[in-house]
Amino acid sequence: MNRSYYWLVTALAIPAFTWLVPTIWMVSLSFQPNDVLARTTSSTAFGLIPLPFTWDNYAALFSFGQTPAWFLNSLIVAVGMTLGVLAVSTTAGYALARLEFPFKKTITVICLIGLMVPEQAVFIPLYTMFADFGWHNSYHALILPRMAVPIGVFLMMQFFRAIPKDIEEAARLDGVTWLRIFWYVMLPLARPAMMTLAILTFLYAWNDYLWPLVSAQQREYFTITLGLASIQSNFAQSEGLGRVMASGVIASLPVVILFLIFQRYVVQAMTVGGSKG
Amino acid sequence: MRTRTSRQMTQTQAAYTLLLPFLAVYALFLIYPFFRGVWISLHDWNLLAVAFNPDAKEFVGLRNYERVMWGRNIEWSLFAAPFWQVLGLIGLALAVLLRLGDKLSRFNAIALGVASLLLIVIPGFHAGEGGRWFDRRFWPTVGNTLVFVGLAVPGVTISALLLAAAVNRETRAMSMLRTLFFLSQVLSVTVVTLIWQIMFSPRQGLIANITQAVGGTPINWLTDQQFAMAAIVIATIWWSLGIAMILFLAGLQDISKDLYEAAALDNATGARAFWYITLPNLKRTITVVVILQIILHFQVFGQSHLMTQGGPNDSTQVLVRYIYQTGFRDSELGRASAMAVFLFVIMGCFSIIQFVVGREIPE
Repeated sequence: MNRSYYWLVTALAIPAFTWLVPTIWMVSLSFQPNDVLARTTSSTAFGLIPLPFTWDNYAALFSFGQTPAWFLNSLIVAVGMTLGVLAVSTTAGYALARLEFPFKKTITVICLIGLMVPEQAVFIPLYTMFADFGWHNSYHALILPRMAVPIGVFLMMQFFRAIPKDIEEAARLDGVTWLRIFWYVMLPLARPAMMTLAILTFLYAWNDYLWPLVSAQQREYFTITLGLASIQSNFAQSEGLGRVMASGVIASLPVVILFLIFQRYVVQAMTVGGSKG
Repeated sequence: MRTRTSRQMTQTQAAYTLLLPFLAVYALFLIYPFFRGVWISLHDWNLLAVAFNPDAKEFVGLRNYERVMWGRNIEWSLFAAPFWQVLGLIGLALAVLLRLGDKLSRFNAIALGVASLLLIVIPGFHAGEGGRWFDRRFWPTVGNTLVFVGLAVPGVTISALLLAAAVNRETRAMSMLRTLFFLSQVLSVTVVTLIWQIMFSPRQGLIANITQAVGGTPINWLTDQQFAMAAIVIATIWWSLGIAMILFLAGLQDISKDLYEAAALDNATGARAFWYITLPNLKRTITVVVILQIILHFQVFGQSHLMTQGGPNDSTQVLVRYIYQTGFRDSELGRASAMAVFLFVIMGCFSIIQFVVGREIPE
């Protein structure tokens, strides 16, 4: 710890503060009365300190308006998608990594190609498909398309490949079936990878915007991300700035808490997600 | 081995049982939609008309692609867009010269050569005498997307690199700073645009308030054609710096401490050490991060859709938003799908480059 280190920390305080300000501002505005905000957004210290202070925006949010319902929708979709992705990815990942079967290479390559197809390139045909099935405005319409993205399969495949073979072979000699080995031996070992995949999927589900935008047209089926988009275009007239900001805070709370608790996993998950799809 | 009971599954059966759920959703919700998208792009397909009467579509072959990307009397000439084409020529010359002088690896020479060639060829097309593009908005939209990528990618990369180098120390303060810079990354695009829309607001915005407090005139960030794209880029850099920073931190961990100690003996510390040791050793990570960011930011949608609605005067209209609007506002699914296929081809090229870079160039 020399002097140059303290200089560095001091110098970094400036970008750090700049980085933090937008978030602080959102939180602070959410605690200020709407009639004050209509006049000025910089009451105390450019509005960065919530004075005058009020809980009204949050109280209003929970007593009327659709934010709680949207929040619940997001929760259902995110949990459902996470479980679905975990189920199909761990099974397929294990089979591709550890089992020998005909056409293994072909299937692996076909799955790899899917990583190249971005959501934006298939959302129109998906829309027409789901419209034909009459599936729009439902939870499964929001969940199913993401289960087809092979990123989870590859994450699990890479993990299972790294596990030493002798664990499996010992069980095989005892006559344990492949499916039991998968369930009782491999899955417990795979917890860290499953955790990373679960967080990656949950964050994706919570934050996804484009697919819910085209699929969920009835406000009852909006996710919180989509609902927030729908109220921010006309925030000034309808609900008041403070309430919109409170919605923003509520919408961010689960992912921020998730991040602060499982920081290592979140960073890992987002890096994997960012680099592979 | 063969004495196992017949009730037990063979390895092959077990494998396919485990694979089946994924392959089913994969085929149904990714592979099939992809080909269906290509099929839609070959039709005159109105969203509402086809919804009421499935036979209301008409096969038109490649005409949608022509309508989107081509025009009447389109000509090609050198120096139709002098700036970009001259830049391309310079790039091409550099690629050849540096390769002959062995200053550039083969991979980099090819990359620079291909990019330069595209820069010469593509801007050369223009509507000739009495001609016009069938879709006046498509290429400008692609151009805007490229401008966005061209600003956001270097912005994120450079700031992430500097921050990563600065916070690459195992102390409490530094780990807190890492957390802080990563935090905005977990927010959803709608929260980010909500925050920044109001940050940039000329009447209520924090930036305007501070500008006024120091005696300046607030800028209409989101409605001024000069600043709208910059505003979106700033919000994007704030949002998506975290992953790049983490990837750089991982790359920095691989650089041996000995190199820095040796350099310190030669009086190279701080900025000089960064320039002569950190940068050259981080080349591969930088390439990976840049390609990744290009793929990510080429698909920008939310920032433009929510902050500026593509405006003012189409200056922030980007490709995915144009696809969305053509499909769901104008109900022209055929044309929108043709653009989506175009997007896929570009993304596919970058994915292949990413794949190749990820496998090769061990330094």
